Amino acid sequence: MNEMELKGQLKEIIAEIIEVDEFGDDENFVRDLGVDSMMALEIVARIEKSYRIRIPEEFLPEIKTLTDVTRVVSNVMQPING
Amino acid sequence: MTTTIKLGFDQVRRLLPQAYPFCLVDVVEELTPGERIVARKNISGNEWMFPGHFPDKAIYPGVLLIEGMAQTSILLFKGAEDQDADFEGATFMIASVKSRFLAPVVPGDQVRYTCEVVKVVSTGGVMECTATVDGNVVAKADLTFAVQR
Repeated sequence: MNEMELKGQLKEIIAEIIEVDEFGDDENFVRDLGVDSMMALEIVARIEKSYRIRIPEEFLPEIKTLTDVTRVVSNVMQPING
Repeated sequence: MTTTIKLGFDQVRRLLPQAYPFCLVDVVEELTPGERIVARKNISGNEWMFPGHFPDKAIYPGVLLIEGMAQTSILLFKGAEDQDADFEGATFMIASVKSRFLAPVVPGDQVRYTCEVVKVVSTGGVMECTATVDGNVVAKADLTFAVQR
């Protein structure tokens, strides 16, 4: 799976949780999309379940945009995919 | 090796922040710290909600099933002795609920709540919960809660 595909899938997951269908890669979740810390936790929990990965708590503050989520998920998946 | 904990009603009500008439769990049947809990509530016709819900047909309110799942989740964190200190004095607040009700619960039913941890961090968590009666799922919910210390 390339990064574009991953980003597309992550966008679907996030859109469902935050109930916003259209948002840009670099729109800020908190400032632009009304996401709070508990929604961020839901996003992370859903991603962990979908991809069977574990995103450590210290990465949570890094996750501010779709681009950030994609980067963190790719980094966490890297060791598994080789 | 993981230990399984059981809790009686007196322990349950000591651990829960809620009190009568809002203690909506009777006993904990099994608790695996940090992972999973199964609790039970017997629904009696002589309970405070039935005169109003509804006057001619007693149905245990769906919102109270959700509350039962939330209280069961609290017990998962407060009922494990080694974790007790972490959550001592902590306030649990529901941030979001995604739920589905599949069958009505009525007096005489024995509701079993099963809650599993999806993710927990220092500020909150996400739980996957089901309520069953005689092995059939009557409600399920994903709960997100915030922990304030």
